[in-house]
Amino acid sequence: MKEKDFYFNKEQGHARAIKIIKEVRFSEDSRDYGYMAENVPCQDGCPAITNIPGYIRCISEERFGRSYELNRMYNIFPGVLGRICSRPCEKRCRHGEADLGEPVNICHLKRSAADLKSSWHRIKENLYAPTGYKIAVVGAGPAGLASAHELATLGHKVTVFEAMEQPGGMLMHGIPEFRLPRDILDLEIKNILRLGVDLELGVEIGKRTSLKSLLKDYDAVITATGCMNAFSANLPGEDLDGVYSGLDFMMRVNNGERPKVGKEVAVIGGGFTAIDCSRMAIRLGASKVSVNLRRTEENMRIDEHEKNEAKFEKIRIYGLVRPVRITGKNGRVKSMTMERTRLIYTPEPPFRKAVPIENSEFTIPVDSVIIAIGQYPETGFIDTKIKLDGHRIWTSSDSYRTSVKKLYAAGDCVTGATDVINAVANGRQAAQEVDEFLIRRKRKKRIVRFEASAPSDRKRSDDFIPQVKLPVLDRNSRFKKITNEVELGYDHESAFKEAKRCYLCNLKFEIDVDRCIYCSACIDVAPRDCIKLIRDVEVKKDGSYGDYEETTNWRNVVAIAIDNKRCIRCGKCVEACPMDCISVTKVELIEQDLEA
Amino acid sequence: MPKKDHYVIIGNGPAGNSAADAFRANDKDARVTIISDEAFSFFYRHKLPQFVAGNIGEDDLKVRPYSVYKEQNIRLRLGQCVDRIDPEEKILYLRHMEKVGYTKLVIATGGSPRILPSLTSFEKHLRFMTGYNNAIKLMPEIQKAKTITILGGDLISFELVKALRTMKKKIFFIFYSKCFWPVELTGNMSAKICANMKKKNIEAYADDTVETLTEKGNLYTLKTASGRTFKSDLVCCFLGLVPNIGYIIGSGIDTERGVLVNEFMQTNYKDIYACGDCAQIYDPKLKDYWISIGWSNAGLQGKIAAMNLLGSSKVVKPLPKSIRDVVGIKIQTSWWDHF
Ligand SMILES: Cc1cc2nc3c(=O)[nH]c(=O)nc-3n(C[C@H](O)[C@H](O)[C@H](O)COP(=O)(O)OP(=O)(O)OC[C@H]3O[C@@H](n4cnc5c(N)ncnc54)[C@H](O)[C@@H]3O)c2cc1C
Ligand SMILES: Cc1cc2nc3c(=O)[nH]c(=O)nc-3n(C[C@H](O)[C@H](O)[C@H](O)COP(=O)(O)OP(=O)(O)OC[C@H]3O[C@@H](n4cnc5c(N)ncnc54)[C@H](O)[C@@H]3O)c2cc1C
Ligand code: SF4
Ligand code: SF4
Repeated sequence: MKEKDFYFNKEQGHARAIKIIKEVRFSEDSRDYGYMAENVPCQDGCPAITNIPGYIRCISEERFGRSYELNRMYNIFPGVLGRICSRPCEKRCRHGEADLGEPVNICHLKRSAADLKSSWHRIKENLYAPTGYKIAVVGAGPAGLASAHELATLGHKVTVFEAMEQPGGMLMHGIPEFRLPRDILDLEIKNILRLGVDLELGVEIGKRTSLKSLLKDYDAVITATGCMNAFSANLPGEDLDGVYSGLDFMMRVNNGERPKVGKEVAVIGGGFTAIDCSRMAIRLGASKVSVNLRRTEENMRIDEHEKNEAKFEKIRIYGLVRPVRITGKNGRVKSMTMERTRLIYTPEPPFRKAVPIENSEFTIPVDSVIIAIGQYPETGFIDTKIKLDGHRIWTSSDSYRTSVKKLYAAGDCVTGATDVINAVANGRQAAQEVDEFLIRRKRKKRIVRFEASAPSDRKRSDDFIPQVKLPVLDRNSRFKKITNEVELGYDHESAFKEAKRCYLCNLKFEIDVDRCIYCSACIDVAPRDCIKLIRDVEVKKDGSYGDYEETTNWRNVVAIAIDNKRCIRCGKCVEACPMDCISVTKVELIEQDLEA
Repeated sequence: MPKKDHYVIIGNGPAGNSAADAFRANDKDARVTIISDEAFSFFYRHKLPQFVAGNIGEDDLKVRPYSVYKEQNIRLRLGQCVDRIDPEEKILYLRHMEKVGYTKLVIATGGSPRILPSLTSFEKHLRFMTGYNNAIKLMPEIQKAKTITILGGDLISFELVKALRTMKKKIFFIFYSKCFWPVELTGNMSAKICANMKKKNIEAYADDTVETLTEKGNLYTLKTASGRTFKSDLVCCFLGLVPNIGYIIGSGIDTERGVLVNEFMQTNYKDIYACGDCAQIYDPKLKDYWISIGWSNAGLQGKIAAMNLLGSSKVVKPLPKSIRDVVGIKIQTSWWDHF
């Protein structure tokens, strides 16, 4: 017996030896990708396919630095996104299923890894040999910076051209400082630039430097120019003093201006920009701020945390209304007339449309109106013939290639206004596609990795820990300074506690039917309907298993199986099994380096 | 033989019960089921203040005996919470992991306590009294407490104060005139309430916001923006009721502040109706939506919802307004019954 094969389980306080078994297997079978999508729903929900259970596990082992690096492999902005991510993963988290309570606060945990790692933390970069290729990136928003970072690690020489005087795109100019302190953003941007990425600030492509010249001088160009134009509501009175476009309003405030808003402010729209404008208006001295939606709160695209913070700051959200006209006196806005709407079903997404109710107009007094109903890309800088998709830059399906040779596009300029995590994911994938185009082979690939694992050391009581709320500033302190960060982040103890809530869905529990004696001991101890007597199983298009067809008639039982879609990894079945026939495997979707 | 209809009603309040009665009266064969997360029969909510004060017993709360349901062949599933509705599959998911199918559904899940966003961070220290489940938990605590802080206000909070006075408790009453429910208090109404309460030996304060609320050894310390400190054994919160729709959001059934229904009480699904405190009703004449929180309107709406589900097309209207005297001030509402 070699000593290194064993370690002692400290938590249990006695010398129970657990063998560390290292059997690793990789797979590119479509069934295994299908399994991952179904069974690790949070990772599947993340556009960057971040290894969420992996980094949460590190936090519960108090390895914050490792957790940060696991994040940074897929998303170069863990500290930023830990604050402002739209959290599509949490909507999919198993802990949020109907009978299981509330989702894990994945995003807050991401932030805790960034906040609580050592200040001497070592950044890890997997650098490839220099290639000699030169690539230009237009736009230093999250998509542009993510692609620049990926290209630089792949050994290419990258120059980023940014029209503004500061990099960061909407992270710097759109999102307010009370949600995203700029020192966090600066640090994560600097860590990208440290790889030798050149950043040319104040250079708007299409003005002194043309896109055509970039295409001539560089081996490839990625445009990541975001959505810099705000949609107009086409309302009579939109040109009055005191009527702002939401994007313009936020950009002005973030540049140090303090636009006059008065006391009563009506914001039109229900996205990130609208909520940020409403919260900023309160900070600029308004006392009665409303957010007005054509549809309902349920259909807002932002997450609950954001809504709740806005409500806490006394912002009222009104649904089923639509602005009709803005009226003013002496050139300045005085009131706004709105009308009621009702919802009708549409067969295509978003499935609900608001239609105005005739003659339902009413008027409210306002000192200013902020119109934040969406943004679209500016494509005027493109001086060669290019295919567009409406306002957006067209790219071929499942690809970031535009209709112009050597020109790629990523982020909001392709997708329309989305969110940062999508922009980061797209930027990185576009970079890998450019790399493949230049090098003529794939150098990184997503694969499924299997490793035999011990059953998790989670305790059943961990399943009942209530969601750990993030501490926030009290209302008065929030408004003392416009830049005061509202969310305060977890301390070690809270992060540890929240991390323990995660079921670690990347552990696959399987019953070896050949050894199983059908004693049903596991079913007796199971906390939910996770172990099933089955007569058949649905096989999906990719070959992976779908729902089980259960039976209560022993004669029809063909197998006893663990439904990993229902399993919450409590480990009770493993403890109960007299035949020791339940195995546990850690299954992870990872990026494999094909050069290694 | 075609399968019998299964009319399921979620909620065992006046709306749910009058819907069930209407179903039974008009369809002798159908299966009718009421599901409620309260393990108690249909009761008068307005009597809860007297109940928690110990002045009346459980039997005094009840509207009607269980035998009525037996006679009418209405199945009562009490103490069972609906967690989710799948309107496409016509299935209800109960918390204890049972699925219940329906052919027609009436949502009558009433109201839940309104909590001001500024109080959400102290929610775990607050007590509410909106139904049997929280009233029965509150009862022993009220009996034990010597000093009680009440954050108000709504009409229910006044009833509780009245009941507590009979128990000789020390009461601090903090209320918000702008958020008073169901109507904003204007002019000198707040001052009048304070004065009248004082006469009854109750310390009442208008419009002082809660800054912090902490608990140590079962003693709650509440500090307000104006610097007052209140120490009490219990802090109860009464800021009115809002439609209880949390479990419906995301199901596909449209909601805004309540479950959105048209003037016939129908949701965006043809076989699902909503009524009572949980419904937000479109009024084609007003060209606006309304929500009524109150006993008689709920009963009326329950009946109309059921009749319409069975084929009628009755339009719902609120009952006429009545004037109510609350600690010396007159409040006019069209929904709140004066018992
Ligand atoms: C107010 C506001 C709040 C938001 N809040 C959130 C949030 O909380 N969470 C979230 O996930 N998302 C949020 N978003 C959305 C998010 O910021 C964007 O989806 C994301 O930044 C898009 O990234 P991008 O890199 O594609 O574009 P952008 O961030 O828009 O960056 C584009 C960059 O390109 C530059 N550029 C444009 N044209 C040229 C040119 N011709 N030459 C040189 N440079 C050029 C621009 O100056 C800009 O710096 C918010 C957006 C706004 C406006
Ligand atoms: C303390 C108090 C005093 C009141 N005093 C008065 C008064 O004086 N005058 C007046 O007019 N009105 C008064 N009201 C309001 C009145 O009681 C309500 O307006 C009325 O009961 C509403 O009826 P309803 O049928 O819509 O809902 P409720 O009576 O609220 O019934 C809702 C039902 O739904 C059930 N339920 C909710 N969620 C679920 C779920 N997920 N699964 C299963 N079941 C669920 C509940 O258990 C309950 O049985 C008072 C209310 C309270 C709480
Ligand atoms: S419980 Fe953990 S692993 Fe499972 S979905 Fe939620 S965050 Fe992901
Ligand atoms: S570990 Fe076993 S008993 Fe626990 S939830 Fe998963 S399958 Fe069920």
